[in-house]
Amino acid sequence: MTRDDISADLLKFISTPQSSEDAFNAQALTVFDFQFQNNQPYATFARSRGKTPRTVKHWSDIPPVPINAFKSLDLTCCQPDKAAAVFMTSGTTQGGRRGKSYHAALDVYDASMRRNFADRFMRGTPRLTMGILFPTAAMMPNSSLAHYLDLAITGFGTPDSQWLIGPDGIDLPRLTQALEQSEATGQSYALLGASFSLVHAMDAVQAQGRRFQLPPGSRILDTGGFKGQSRELELDAFYDALSQTFGVARADCIGMYGMTELSSQFYDDGNATCPSVKSGPHWVRSRVVNPLTGQSVPKGETGVLAHTDLAHYNIVTTILTEDAAIETDNGFQLLGRVSGAEAVGCSMAVDAFLKAAKAG
Amino acid sequence: MVDHACYLPGLDPQALRWKTLTLGHGGGLGHDVAVPVLEPQDMTRLAEHVRHHAARNLRPLPVSRIVDVIDTVIARLLDRQDPYRRRMEHALPIVTGYDAQMVRLGLTRTLKTFRKPELLRFLAEDFPNPAILDGFQPLPKGGYGQAFGPGVLGHIWAGNVPALPLWSLVCGLLVKSGNIGKVATAEPLFATWFAQVLADVAPELADCLAVVWWQGGDDAPERAMLQATDLALAYGGSEALADIHGRMPPGKRLLEFGHKVSFAMISAAALDPAKAADTARRAADDIARYDQQGCFAPHVVFVEKGGHVSPRVFARYLAGALSAFGHRYPRRGLTMAEANSLAAWRHQEEFAHGAQMIGDALGDWSVSFHEGGSGFGPSCLNRAIRVVAVDDLADVPSQVAPYRTLLQTVGIAAPPDALFKLAGLLGEAGVTRIAALGDMTTPEAGWHHDGRFNLSDLVQITEIDARAPPAADTLAAYDD
Repeated sequence: MTRDDISADLLKFISTPQSSEDAFNAQALTVFDFQFQNNQPYATFARSRGKTPRTVKHWSDIPPVPINAFKSLDLTCCQPDKAAAVFMTSGTTQGGRRGKSYHAALDVYDASMRRNFADRFMRGTPRLTMGILFPTAAMMPNSSLAHYLDLAITGFGTPDSQWLIGPDGIDLPRLTQALEQSEATGQSYALLGASFSLVHAMDAVQAQGRRFQLPPGSRILDTGGFKGQSRELELDAFYDALSQTFGVARADCIGMYGMTELSSQFYDDGNATCPSVKSGPHWVRSRVVNPLTGQSVPKGETGVLAHTDLAHYNIVTTILTEDAAIETDNGFQLLGRVSGAEAVGCSMAVDAFLKAAKAG
Repeated sequence: MVDHACYLPGLDPQALRWKTLTLGHGGGLGHDVAVPVLEPQDMTRLAEHVRHHAARNLRPLPVSRIVDVIDTVIARLLDRQDPYRRRMEHALPIVTGYDAQMVRLGLTRTLKTFRKPELLRFLAEDFPNPAILDGFQPLPKGGYGQAFGPGVLGHIWAGNVPALPLWSLVCGLLVKSGNIGKVATAEPLFATWFAQVLADVAPELADCLAVVWWQGGDDAPERAMLQATDLALAYGGSEALADIHGRMPPGKRLLEFGHKVSFAMISAAALDPAKAADTARRAADDIARYDQQGCFAPHVVFVEKGGHVSPRVFARYLAGALSAFGHRYPRRGLTMAEANSLAAWRHQEEFAHGAQMIGDALGDWSVSFHEGGSGFGPSCLNRAIRVVAVDDLADVPSQVAPYRTLLQTVGIAAPPDALFKLAGLLGEAGVTRIAALGDMTTPEAGWHHDGRFNLSDLVQITEIDARAPPAADTLAAYDD
């Protein structure tokens, strides 16, 4: 099958209302076969685990690539220099190497984002006035999040929607004006951004002694992740503060979970209680596994997430994250990043070793 | 049954608040242990209590008597029928997660390091004439000297390896100090039981030591203990040690035993067909015992090319030996964080370093093979080992030298001339202990831990100037 065939199939798959387990499985195996043929490093990886299109009969047998591997391997089904987009992780570990995802085309990525975003965030509303607390895609061409937010504002924002972060940080006057206008007109408003940007925005608004009461239908989308960029808040405190500062009920504060190494996102249905349950669209399957064995852990126990995202056909469908989670009936509760084990005694932890070498 | 941790002479246990911790590792059943919630003033009272009683009951004893008491305590703990030994064999595997047989053998091996002949070795190692601990003895330069241990010695122990508190606690007793030791949450029982057996064996010393607990990093009790001791000794990671250092009262000394990295070196001579299998078995023993949690456990094995068995094949021998060891003594269950860090280590080896992984992630060991020559780095522990092929073992010391402050033990399998030559180079690079392969995890009695002195680092010498006795002579009643 050619890339065009696969991509046409996937666009059709995404546009159907739901998918059966069999249909998902068949599609996943087709994409695995395509990736095995066209993504050399991945084929080597899969073979080393004894997995080939001949032996893999179920999507859950597709060998998951640990996200760490994206830092050292160019996992792509196209020539890296022919990629339509290259998304990079923000981390700077491993000698400054960043994980890269080369997308030969973004049609499926974009379709996945739009369909899922319409269902889970827009909830049937065709357009909303949006304020985006994130740098533009032009400012950050390798950020999958900037691209995602660009799709949101162009596909679902009204013409007066705007990006509220410039080279100097949050544009507070424009943010304040937009919030005031929404309050005045009663036209609902959507504020979208990385969690740390929202914290900065709340700090700035509170510093002015302001508080807003956005009209019904308004909502907030946070994309998770503090990564040491601002005060780190406990989830409950974070959503309480969002709700109090902007006058949006916690149930309308929607958390998105996505990653550079995927082409689809996960959402919760608001954060009235934390941790919320997140889930993906019907072209994604998530499992909570033991990171070492890759086996699913019993429901209710903590493991790490492995995702099979058919929309990520340009790279690899199945990845092993370092995000700890508990499986629930409707999805999973995200518990944050699994840290490495701390060395408890006199032996050495990896981090401490690297630190000592730098100091020495 | 709930075991009560800590040993608190002079405090009324009924008057204390206790809380029960369920201790265990990596998903086992867990063992309930009650720990006292101590206030800073309790630390002060305990320290004064042990100071007072040590001054009265311990300091007047000849060191030979203290050796006899410790020897009797150790003999009890070596006796598998002794009730305390039985409690240790029952509880320590559950609390630490280590395989029960491995704990049993490890306890015996460690305890054997503290019997009378070995204790005499500790003394002889640091004091040419151990009687210097009992009274003034002639000094080689002239004059007389006596060694005085601190009135109260404070210990902050780690919980990675059972029986670890023995090393410093025995040393504290030998220099006649009152001791107050803080146990780790990961293993609070061994030191508690040692203290109870000591009190049983020598009731006159029952009030000369205390074992306490607080949640690691808790500021107030730690500060109070450090304030109340004359000298402190701590095991832990660099951050924990820096915190402790920050809490030291000015002018008092802290002896720090920080995180260390050890490794092994195997010469071509150890790789002839008759010896290679035994070499692999010895290396596996060092790697697997206590699942690499001790500072003396190897993180990397450097293997010299040119032997009958190539480094790549040796890596397979080692995998086989680890597999056999794991069959007898399984690795402990991993916590999610440990499993994740092992998975990350395996991925890192494979993807970032291009190493060949031997075995799958389901087993209880991981061997990675680096053809490349330079590959010194830390393991994620829990029986994960990197085998690095090198042209010449003499090239290794320069590779590890940048990490000199972290280096500790090197296990060497090499002929005598190479052993001494390498030892010299490794010592220059910062290594403090060279052991035979297979003996890395069992330091011998009196070893210089991290290159330091066990006893003489604890004492201060009071000396009588050589000219003082003649001057005193002039004042004697019998002076002519």
